[in-house]
Amino acid sequence: MNQAAELQIETYLRSLRECLPNLSVAEREEIIREISVHIRESAEEPRANVADILARLGSPQSLASQYGHDPVIQRASRSLSPLTILLATLHLGRRGVEGFALFLVAFIGYAMGAAFIITALLKSFFPAETGLWVGPHTFDFGFNTPASFNPLNHEVLGWWYVPIALALGGFSLWITTYGIRWFLQRRSVRRLGEAQQVAAASSLVAGLS
Amino acid sequence: MSPRDSELGKQQSAERWEQQIRKGALEMAALAALWDGRLYGLEIIRRFSDSPQLALSEGTIYPILGRLKDEGLLASEWVEAEAGHPRKYYWLTDAGRLRLQQMAATWTEFSRELARLIRPVVTSQKEEVKR
Repeated sequence: MNQAAELQIETYLRSLRECLPNLSVAEREEIIREISVHIRESAEEPRANVADILARLGSPQSLASQYGHDPVIQRASRSLSPLTILLATLHLGRRGVEGFALFLVAFIGYAMGAAFIITALLKSFFPAETGLWVGPHTFDFGFNTPASFNPLNHEVLGWWYVPIALALGGFSLWITTYGIRWFLQRRSVRRLGEAQQVAAASSLVAGLS
Repeated sequence: MSPRDSELGKQQSAERWEQQIRKGALEMAALAALWDGRLYGLEIIRRFSDSPQLALSEGTIYPILGRLKDEGLLASEWVEAEAGHPRKYYWLTDAGRLRLQQMAATWTEFSRELARLIRPVVTSQKEEVKR
């Protein structure tokens, strides 16, 4: 391969690398390696021309835009683990307001779920202090220490507290997990659509010019 | 907007529609190319180059393979060649085989229904050509 062709390839790969900032170094280098092998092997075919090979690959920008998916989000959008989902929303939260709001929703949802389940377990150890407390200005689920005890309030559920708190906790975990997953899936479909439109538009422009 | 611009706009939207159909089909085509065994990217592209309907910007296939791998439908491995370039081979996982079978069933049914719907259009076009 002559020097001019080698330079063309290097320039193409450098632009591609610059257009892939949202990926980890390992993921990015894997992509660069694969595309580099593609170009070099195609260039060995008889009558091959590097400029044509690069044109058939599409511009570095349009190629990079098609790698626009995010593995952390992809994994979370199919996961049932609260930790994976919470970490994915934290990951999004660092990027923008929408992501941060999603992180807050996930955090509050999981915290509520966990709190209900923990108080259901506490009921077995502290039956007199745990329950649904109802009073003139109170409607309070959970654990009441003797210090915060208000004689005007009374507990209304008794042992029914355990199944009800477990059900409410389970429901909070379930709705948070599926709600966030639904949002993440919708988001990746939307992003993929955008990436495809960009790619289609740029190949159209290339075709017209 | 001049009539020429609106003509161009119509042509663009027709091309975009065609490209979107191809892109959707390409995911299934990439899985199908791997049905009989492992292949690397350029081999998959060469298979498609025999069918002009699937020919698309070659770069498109690599992000698709990456995405299918992230979804657990494909697995991959770099193989160092004794002579020549190292190659990243892809093959179908069990989940990939299952998904491809589901896709093929959906596709067959869908295209049969569509073919039935557009039959009058195609027949009238043929008659116009005869005249």
